[in-house]
Amino acid sequence: MKKLFVLLFSSFILLGAMAQVDKGNLLIKNGTVITITKGNLEQTDVLIKDGKIAQIGKNITAPAGIKIVDASGHFVMPGIIDAHSHIALDGINEGTNPITPEVNESDVINPFQIGIYRALGGGITTVHAMHGSANAIGGQCETIKLRYGTFDPEVLKMDGAPRTIKFALGENPTRSHGEGSGIVPRTRMGVEFVIRQAFTEAKEYSEKWNQYNKAKLVKGFRGAPPTYSYRHEVLSDILNDKIIVHCHSYRADEIYMMLKVCKDFGIKRIVFQHVNEGFKVAPELAAQGAMASVFSDWWAYKFEVYYSTAYNAAILAKNGVVTSINSDDGEMMRHLYHEAGKTQKYGGLSDEEALALITINPAKQLGIENRVGSLEVGKEADIAIFKNHPLSIYGVPMFTIVDGVVRFDREKDPDDMRLVVDPKQAIETATFRDKLSDQDHCMEGAEFILDSELFNANKK
Amino acid sequence: MVERRFIQRITGGVLALLVCSFSLFAQDEKELKPVTRTYAITNVNVVQAPGKKVDMATVLIKDGLITAVGKGVAIPADAIVIKADSMYVYAGFIDGLSRVGVTKPKEEVGRDRVKDPGNPAPERAGITPQNDVRGSLNASDKSIEDLRNIGFTVAQVVPYGNLLPGQGSIVLLSGKSADQMVLVSNSSLYSELSGANGVYPNTTMAVIAKWRELYRQASQAKSYQSLYASNRVGLERPGSDRVLEAFYPVIDQRIPVLFKSEKMLDAHRILTLKSDLGFSLIMADVKEGWPVANKIKASGAKVFLSLDLPEEAKKDDKKSGGKSDKKADSTKAKEVAKPKTAADLERDALEKRKSEAIANYTTQASVFNKAGVSFGFSSLSAKPKDIPANLRRMIAAGLSEDAALAALTTTPAQLLGLSDRMGTVENGKMANLVISDKSYFNEKAKVRYVFVDGVMYKLEVKEENLPAGQAGKSDPNAKVEIEGSWSTVTQTPQGSNDGKVTFKKDGSGYKGTVSGGRLPAPADLTSVTLEGNKLSYSYSLSFGGNSIKVDVEATVEGDSFKGNASIGLRGSFSIEGTKNPKN
Amino acid sequence: MGLLTAIVCIVVLRVEAQSPKGKYGNVALTNATIETITKGTIQNGTLLIVDGKIAAVGGNVSIPSGTETIDCKGQFIYPGMIDAGTNLGLNEISSVARTTDFNEIGEVIPQMKALTAVNPNASAIPVTRVSGVTTALSIPTGGMLSGTAALINLHGYTPDQMFAGFEGIVLNFPNTGRRGFFDRRTDEEIKKASDKALASLNDVWEKATQYQKLDSATKGKAGYYPELQALIPVMRGEQTLLVEVNASKDIQAALKWLKEKKVKKSILTGVAEGWRVADEIAKSGIPVITGGVLELPTRDYDRYDKAYANPGLLKKAGVKVAIKSESNNNNYRNLPYHAGFAVAYGMNKEDALKAITIIPAELLGVANKLGSIEVGKSATLFICNGDPFETKTQISHVFIEGWSMPMVSRQTELYNEFLKREPGVKK
Repeated sequence: MKKLFVLLFSSFILLGAMAQVDKGNLLIKNGTVITITKGNLEQTDVLIKDGKIAQIGKNITAPAGIKIVDASGHFVMPGIIDAHSHIALDGINEGTNPITPEVNESDVINPFQIGIYRALGGGITTVHAMHGSANAIGGQCETIKLRYGTFDPEVLKMDGAPRTIKFALGENPTRSHGEGSGIVPRTRMGVEFVIRQAFTEAKEYSEKWNQYNKAKLVKGFRGAPPTYSYRHEVLSDILNDKIIVHCHSYRADEIYMMLKVCKDFGIKRIVFQHVNEGFKVAPELAAQGAMASVFSDWWAYKFEVYYSTAYNAAILAKNGVVTSINSDDGEMMRHLYHEAGKTQKYGGLSDEEALALITINPAKQLGIENRVGSLEVGKEADIAIFKNHPLSIYGVPMFTIVDGVVRFDREKDPDDMRLVVDPKQAIETATFRDKLSDQDHCMEGAEFILDSELFNANKK
Repeated sequence: MVERRFIQRITGGVLALLVCSFSLFAQDEKELKPVTRTYAITNVNVVQAPGKKVDMATVLIKDGLITAVGKGVAIPADAIVIKADSMYVYAGFIDGLSRVGVTKPKEEVGRDRVKDPGNPAPERAGITPQNDVRGSLNASDKSIEDLRNIGFTVAQVVPYGNLLPGQGSIVLLSGKSADQMVLVSNSSLYSELSGANGVYPNTTMAVIAKWRELYRQASQAKSYQSLYASNRVGLERPGSDRVLEAFYPVIDQRIPVLFKSEKMLDAHRILTLKSDLGFSLIMADVKEGWPVANKIKASGAKVFLSLDLPEEAKKDDKKSGGKSDKKADSTKAKEVAKPKTAADLERDALEKRKSEAIANYTTQASVFNKAGVSFGFSSLSAKPKDIPANLRRMIAAGLSEDAALAALTTTPAQLLGLSDRMGTVENGKMANLVISDKSYFNEKAKVRYVFVDGVMYKLEVKEENLPAGQAGKSDPNAKVEIEGSWSTVTQTPQGSNDGKVTFKKDGSGYKGTVSGGRLPAPADLTSVTLEGNKLSYSYSLSFGGNSIKVDVEATVEGDSFKGNASIGLRGSFSIEGTKNPKN
Repeated sequence: MGLLTAIVCIVVLRVEAQSPKGKYGNVALTNATIETITKGTIQNGTLLIVDGKIAAVGGNVSIPSGTETIDCKGQFIYPGMIDAGTNLGLNEISSVARTTDFNEIGEVIPQMKALTAVNPNASAIPVTRVSGVTTALSIPTGGMLSGTAALINLHGYTPDQMFAGFEGIVLNFPNTGRRGFFDRRTDEEIKKASDKALASLNDVWEKATQYQKLDSATKGKAGYYPELQALIPVMRGEQTLLVEVNASKDIQAALKWLKEKKVKKSILTGVAEGWRVADEIAKSGIPVITGGVLELPTRDYDRYDKAYANPGLLKKAGVKVAIKSESNNNNYRNLPYHAGFAVAYGMNKEDALKAITIIPAELLGVANKLGSIEVGKSATLFICNGDPFETKTQISHVFIEGWSMPMVSRQTELYNEFLKREPGVKK
């Protein structure tokens, strides 16, 4: 433990000002390599150089001095990608306003959360760290790689990953704003309205700027520029296809509504999140090229997920929708491989189809499929090594590798893996999750606002 | 309830004196008014600057300035001679970020329900960069004296608030009014990465987003205003906007943004803002800066490290088997002899990590020093009485005494652009001095004199000043329970007065109230400490625009305490308390 | 057999499209691998169901003529799984208060009976039973003494038809843990609250002791005092006290309390930090129903897999361990996965299987009817095509007290309707 600490301590001092990402060299020997895109390869080696997959093949000669991981009898698969998570963030919901695209989770990455390490223990290497669902248009999200051990939030960021933003439909935004503050939206009608209104205003805003910039070119022009609005800048970026929309949704009607909004405003890239009733509009989703990121079997925790089915992922996948399985939960993300396995029980997906739900498909949804999500030469060396097949209940992640660096080693890691320790308290109070309030975690943070507002209202 | 009345009577008494005979205040001032403004500090070890010491020399002060330093300085006839034999004199300390003397606003803001929480008024959102700390500076606040008494003479003070509370000033810890105190007004634009309660911006990410937007809007407004100023023809009149206008000097780099940067991640976030927007930056009250030292260095930001440190790990833990008293049970005695259980081993490991964590805080200053980052100190979240000990802990953890002194004197002077006026004991500098009876960093050293701007403050060396018989024996290891409500009787020149004070557990410490009948509401205690059986608590009263701090120090024995209540410099009265039975 | 199943399915769907019913009758399950749990594995065996009971099991069972036969070649028979930690029947949608019945008002309400409020038509019941979980302990929650839990079989039209023969009083032992990320109380406040709760529990217990004595002395005429009356069977050692407790410190306190109060029949439930004090639990001899297993560690510095390893560590220390799933989330169908994770992270597979069959049956006093495949026991079992812990294993038949369950739930119905939706995009 101390060794780890000293190591980290010295490394960040050396790293200094630059957000320098560690990239490793590694040879993984003799595993069953599950490439996802190119089938399974028995007793095969994977050579990693400078954080990238350099070679996949049998009996690769180990370059001098390279670290070797013996994967004999183990399964080597791409690092698992969770397209919906809220780990590594200080603050999930700016729940004060139904429209907050200007806020950005990128600004509040927290590399110290133990949840990052625990996710590595479940074979996760990449996570979509999202804003919550209190607002119809929430904040921008950040795609991070689980480079646990760094003290620099910049190091967690997956540099170059496309920008994404959280939208939310249905009960959460209506509860936060309509019920909580008496502000539109209180219904699904209101949700559609505030989204369309925001986009329309953003169009007007960029039109004004276009006019101003054009007029400025004329010699002798005199006039005032439109007032800068960060909010409308980001909304314009969405309309200009610079940001992928990830839309929290459950019911078929609201999914369908959002598809129409996208059509009307020319938004091409949208991934529906949770989307428990996606199966009902699978043909429409497929026709528009919209994607779906779902729970394996969560249901009945609120009314809008009452008419759910664990066969959702299978129906969507078989209807041609690019589908992933996500966690939205610090515990569930530790066994997304098991959640993917449930699609074999509920819908009979093949091993390949099931594993795609947690690798290449979420990569597509985050726009990073050219870099991660399968084991191919040239891709980033994000790898999970399992004892037993990952879709088996007995599958246990043994090593998790990010950019060729072993970030999780089940046999060697010490118990206490905290990076920072409270200088005021040694023994921690245990935390037990309250199952009574079981919800999707997208409302974390917003509940406080709701409660405090209600509290204040009651006091009056 | 009655305590309030007592206080009112006392302060009323003070007030009465004020009115009829120009008062205790005036008398105090008269007492303090010097006969001459020339002082000669003789036979003193002069630490002119870190590493530059002259033994047994004289420092001459005249009209607020140092006029001579050295051996064989001729002492003018009008000088008051301070025989500082074998004492040490240093340049007065400079505090990079503090709220010393700043009145905390009443907590009304943040209570009201806002109709549209997404679009609150700027004041409600914590956006008041146009505010000037001078408006809330109270020259007679006791905190000024507390900080001065440990050697500080200058501090950069800022208003209370969250996102953009307003503009700071660099002040002298001396003077009868806010204006007299001010050395540099509008020295910085102060900001914290903390959100508004229940309204936008509520989260840190929204605070950062708002910051970006305001800065860009201000840049835009500013350039439009200068365009308008250069030629108004054909241009719409630019509106006035106090919030945006407050950014103009920042945009011009005439003043820095002063950011509270306690936490490690705050530091990263603030540095990102700086690199995105390009303002000049002071990071202050840095507590967890050790992993970012080099990043800060590369950014060119100026740094003030916090003088607050987490409590030291208790060393006697091992003796008691590492168990806290709370968990004491009947099996404890038996367990000591037993071999360590898994639980013991776990606790040991956790205690070890905790003390390693504490060590990070204590070594921070040394890490910065070794990384070649120049830094000052800030007292914002530190208690003045802890500061000398905290400095000694930093020194024990590897910071040299010279480096510590530099961080208190020369470096902050330089970071705040005051090097021409202060930071060293040299001819021509302001007479800001601290004189201690031993080397300042010696555990037993006591500050004897502080000079601010040539004004002398002589400190009484505190003895245990409780009259014998009135107070019980002080015992740091005693276990007493003060929680509950107490009735108090105070002996004053106006006769005895009854009062009431209530203590409640608050985390590891206590909080409490004194309640009053004629005053509108019970007053919160501003501090309560209980060390062994030694109880002290304070609260503030305001009258006539002045805030008066009442300090009670007493020794608790069972259900009673005895001690003194002192009201600033205006007197000390004996007080006795008895615990009321629980209802 | 595939063809036969297919035919049966089609028939079932055609005939009972909207509301398929259970089917009762004598059935012979042949050529199966039978995992009896208590008496080993029988290869190529036959299991005969007569009058709702297991009439015969073995390699050489004569089947009375006219008995319906299901050929289980390549299939496995297991006793129905028992989830001893649910609120099945009491909870429709957890965040919609009007659809929940597990949380009555009051701190001390042991007289509130879960069985009364069990909704036999709760949507989660078929969802759960088609996954092989046939029996569930339905538990009221909230307050200190939350009510009386009831063991139910997941088939029947009235609570009494469902009742599986066990009721127990639920005690939420004073808790010094945090309840979640939103619990911002200081440690002091937590301690104070739990001290207060313990004082009030002791007060209740003292009153109950007095009342019980009075009740004995007056031959049941001690007067109407429903809270205390409900506690009498526990005081007299006739009923089990289900003690929900999770933090290690609280577990120790609970063990001490149970000993002091001389509670004869008790089970610890939850027991998330049991591994920390496993030896002490083992020494007390008090059994444990632990879970959910798919949980986070309770403290940041705990090893990442502690929740997964907890059942195995408890068992290893000598504790009698049953495994339950997560409470209150309507996903009790995942019970075998909770057991499966316990196996993946160290528990013996046989022990894990027992932990969701015969052990809970024993702990709840129903081992004479449930929990294993033995002659004379209730025909409550399922047929599947592999290891029931394995995620992809398919369950083809479920029998509850001899009733063959329709293998449909709303979730399968939605699948059938929407896999190939008609009309598609164009109508």
